[in-house]
Amino acid sequence: MELVLDGVRKAFGGVVAVADVSATIPQDGITALIGPNGAGKTTLFNAITGFDPPDQGTITFGERRIDGLPPWRVAELGLIRTFQTPVGFTTLTVRESMLAAATPWFMETPRGAFAFRSGLGRTGRRLEQEAEIRAGEIAAELGLGDLLDMRTDELSAGDRKLLEFARQLMAEPKMLLLDEPAAAVAPANIDKLSQLVRRLCDDRGLGSLIIDHNLSFLMKIADEVHVLDQGVLIASGPPEQIAADPEVMRVYLGEQAAKQ
Amino acid sequence: MTNPVFWVGVLTLALIYANLAMVLNVESGWGGMWDLGIAGLLASGAYFYVILGVDDPELDTRFVPGLPMWLAWPLAALLTGLVALAIALPSLRLRREYFLITTLAFAEIIRQIAVIQADLTRGTVGFSSLDRPFDTLVEARSYNYVLLGVVAFATLVMYAITRRIGLSSYGRTLRAARDNEALALALGKRVNRMRIKTFVLAGVLIGAVAPLYLFYIRAITPQLFAPGITFTVWTALVIGGLGSIRGGVVGAVVLIVFTQGVRLIEIDPQYVSSIEPFLVGLLLVLVLRFRPDGLISERSTFGAARLRGRGRAPAPATTGAVAAVNSASGPAGPAAPTA
Repeated sequence: MELVLDGVRKAFGGVVAVADVSATIPQDGITALIGPNGAGKTTLFNAITGFDPPDQGTITFGERRIDGLPPWRVAELGLIRTFQTPVGFTTLTVRESMLAAATPWFMETPRGAFAFRSGLGRTGRRLEQEAEIRAGEIAAELGLGDLLDMRTDELSAGDRKLLEFARQLMAEPKMLLLDEPAAAVAPANIDKLSQLVRRLCDDRGLGSLIIDHNLSFLMKIADEVHVLDQGVLIASGPPEQIAADPEVMRVYLGEQAAKQ
Repeated sequence: MTNPVFWVGVLTLALIYANLAMVLNVESGWGGMWDLGIAGLLASGAYFYVILGVDDPELDTRFVPGLPMWLAWPLAALLTGLVALAIALPSLRLRREYFLITTLAFAEIIRQIAVIQADLTRGTVGFSSLDRPFDTLVEARSYNYVLLGVVAFATLVMYAITRRIGLSSYGRTLRAARDNEALALALGKRVNRMRIKTFVLAGVLIGAVAPLYLFYIRAITPQLFAPGITFTVWTALVIGGLGSIRGGVVGAVVLIVFTQGVRLIEIDPQYVSSIEPFLVGLLLVLVLRFRPDGLISERSTFGAARLRGRGRAPAPATTGAVAAVNSASGPAGPAAPTA
């Protein structure tokens, strides 16, 4: 399922954060959305995921229009986002956080809690057991295996970032939307991070859309790059082509650098 | 000390508050909904129960079916659930202090309705000498023991219910959404519906507790449901430990025994009215100073701590490919909850 943006616009009062964005994000591969601070990246993310619906334009995921849907509904369709600051469910343990991500909605009701021997109760228990196994596997894959019983607020920032991935994977996404995964990661570890993202996506056949302003990170990881500046896409293409684009250089480095 | 009936009464009242505190813990401790409308829902349950069951020709008989106690009781609980739904739909669009003040307002509205709708509630006069369960089985003098038994049984049932919620995946998602609502939404959690259902469930449970309170008081007037009752329940829960499974019971018993036990001490009459709030304040300050999470903390109730016992395990060293990502970003300070 591909994610298609068509003429998306979002303004806050008189400030047009996203003016007119049309793009197609394919089902597999890693698509990057770059742009300087204030370019509208996060606004676009919030528009896609339902946290801040667009004023104009349409967003479709597969066959479905998703613009205007509430965030939980967008997530149920398989578009799972991360957040810039990986705060997490502070008081839950790693295991609880991961299981909570996988719990089906019908067990998250009073009825679900008291469905002992009914079909609902049996289904819930079976899914919980399957989720426990999956949580163990994903935690092991990410190196969180030893931390399953640690509370989220006891984790280091790096582990919380990994938990962010672990949790979102537990929700069985069809496409991952990563909001600045490289933020607060030291330059020396960017390579490790990009390998991790690459592996997680390729192993599962997941598409992902990553926004960041760390060019070196995105150029390494992305199959396709879209450049956003002042709410408008100014360039799209493979990383090599984008890196050579004078317009992109001007936006990022200023007029002087672009002329040289 | 000398009179066991006094202590039976104190314990009965303590356990009634324990029931309310356990319900409050589900919606506020785990659900993150800071509800200041306990008194309103308690009033709803109590008045529904009395009006459904009372046999009084003076009242408007269209609404006073004179049901037997055992039918009026569950029906009152369900109707209180409906009241809770009516409160939840507008209030849960708000967050934090806005939600809190709205629920407080609803509670006062309900109390005023009880004053004004005198053809159903007998206004400020209310009802007295209410029937109580097993009233005819024992003589009046020993009835206090029967009531304590009834209330203790209700406490066990309520404990089982709230414990089940706390340990279920439903309770886990409630806590998750309390910690970080945006993240819960981003994972596809139907946060608002879940909270509405939780608020309604709390309404049903409070409505079910309400008749117990009436059996204890034996009378009902709107003044019984002043906001003070809500604050006592909150104080009990905070002392016992917001978010823990047993905290409500422990806190209510400690608080009520402490404040009621004082009546046994000879005090200069001019200080009598101020000694109780003073003691409540003192108890709160002491608990929050030395055990800020309450006598039983949420931390000791769930997850790792529950499995390992009380002690906190040292953080294991991270290994493998991800250790590098980890080490460079440095140790984390305590994270500020965002939602």
